[in-house]
Amino acid sequence: MITDELKKVILKQLNLDEFEINDETTAPEVPGWDSLSHVNIIVAVEEHFKVKFKSMEVLKLKNVGDLQRLVDSKLSK
Amino acid sequence: MPAPIQLEKIWDLLKFNPDDPLLFHTSLFFFLFVGFLILYNIVSKYKSAKFLLIILFSLYFYYKSAGYLAAILIVSAVVNFSFGALIYRTPLGLARRLYFILAIVINVGILAYFKYTNFIIQIINEVQRSQIEPLNIFLPIGISFYTFKAMSYIIDIYMEMMEPTKSFRNFCVFIFFFPNIQLGPIERASNFLPQLEEDYQITNADIGRALFLISTGLLKLALISDYLNANFISQVFDWPERYTGFQNLIATYAYSLQLYCDFSGYSDLAIGIALLMGYKLMDNFNAPFKATSIADFWRRWHISLSRWLLDYLFKPLQIKFRRLKMASNIISLFITFIICGIWHNAGWNFVIWGALHGFYMSVGILLQKPKTFIYKKLGIYNTAGLRFVQRVITFHLIAFSFLIFRFTHIEKIKAVLVQIFTYFHGEIYMQFIEKLPVITALIITGFLFHFFPEKAENKIKSIMGNMPIVGKVLLLAVVVYIVAQFKSANPIAPTYFQY
Repeated sequence: MITDELKKVILKQLNLDEFEINDETTAPEVPGWDSLSHVNIIVAVEEHFKVKFKSMEVLKLKNVGDLQRLVDSKLSK
Repeated sequence: MPAPIQLEKIWDLLKFNPDDPLLFHTSLFFFLFVGFLILYNIVSKYKSAKFLLIILFSLYFYYKSAGYLAAILIVSAVVNFSFGALIYRTPLGLARRLYFILAIVINVGILAYFKYTNFIIQIINEVQRSQIEPLNIFLPIGISFYTFKAMSYIIDIYMEMMEPTKSFRNFCVFIFFFPNIQLGPIERASNFLPQLEEDYQITNADIGRALFLISTGLLKLALISDYLNANFISQVFDWPERYTGFQNLIATYAYSLQLYCDFSGYSDLAIGIALLMGYKLMDNFNAPFKATSIADFWRRWHISLSRWLLDYLFKPLQIKFRRLKMASNIISLFITFIICGIWHNAGWNFVIWGALHGFYMSVGILLQKPKTFIYKKLGIYNTAGLRFVQRVITFHLIAFSFLIFRFTHIEKIKAVLVQIFTYFHGEIYMQFIEKLPVITALIITGFLFHFFPEKAENKIKSIMGNMPIVGKVLLLAVVVYIVAQFKSANPIAPTYFQY
């Protein structure tokens, strides 16, 4: 389940007011989330939640649900 | 009395000849492929026999162009199959990482030996002012394509994106598969291997699409690419200073068209041939001159390579450097495109060509926000007029970069540009059309064909799919007849063959 907090960080980076995002949402489905803006979103998520991802962890992400689980796993440590 | 069959002549025709690779648009391939397809349909119910036939035909197909170096394919299959399994069953940690690095080093090492040894010797000679003799190394056709194809398997397993296949036989079909071994598309194992597990029956729509691709492929290669190159582009580009700027400009446009028809035509044939066998290869081109930006161009040109580079090189670099934010994109773009240039061939012009595209892309992302702001202010954002202007600008940037692709010496590029900017003489256009009506017609037809609406293209595919078998054979015969009228005695190997 995607938290409002993660959703807000993503939408803010993409300059979007509102967009439906759920576990299965993939980057290409969200307006403006392309291979270039991807890096900004990852850095914004890391800075907001004060966590640090490994490169491999980021590269394995398939959808927003994976990103939420990765954030959760880092926060629970 | 009929002349006796001369077995020696047949053997000469069939054996390895470095100057006579087996190309899809040759009559020898046509006859061999018809024989193969008949046998293939007879044994298609028996999976093992079908795969054995693909493996044997593919090995012969590659042997005809690469001789004993066809053994590289077998080495590649053994190495990558073994490392795939080893990486998969090794737990996360240092050992797994080492196996992965070793597999990549072996793949890149083989590619580098054949492709880059002499370039490295050239660099050493330039730096040290030495006179080391270049080595006599025969470059096996398609090595860059199938090495990248094999590496995608290793990387996907390491990244836990796929599980390795348990079947060495299926893996050999993936690596050896003759339709894409010479010039791609650089297929992903995750797309191709599952197809080998299915018993897919090709539909009428597939046959329609295959025939459309084979017809367009043949027409693009023989009618536009070979003919334009032999009868116009080469003449102008051999001595650009002997021609007006107008002719040089038309030759530059025609060269972009030729390169596209050359490479996409061969890709069309590869995809069409694979489809007739029941396998779907990924699309490799999507009307690249319709691109409204350089980034858009790379989503449409040589898609299998650009996606490979995006997934396996750009993204890891970008994530690695992500603390640098925007600079991470720029650094990653430059590295990716320089490697993209070197992948094409070993030479300084390919390094410069790659760096130029890195530069184009970087400027594109830096200007993206201000451009969008200005377009919105002017009320032209996302309008047809703006898209047209963007297409024209993008096409010219691409056409210029292709000059660097074509010429190894900067003096030649300079000569073409000097003629265009100082000795244009646009008034000769009527003379040009009168003297070269076929060339003019082919260039116009080529570009019109390129901008053909997708809906109309799909309609043609559907009509071709629903034709009775006699109609399909007749149509193909007409295409072959047209191609035969235009083609040179010896079909020219596509430009990309040297890569």
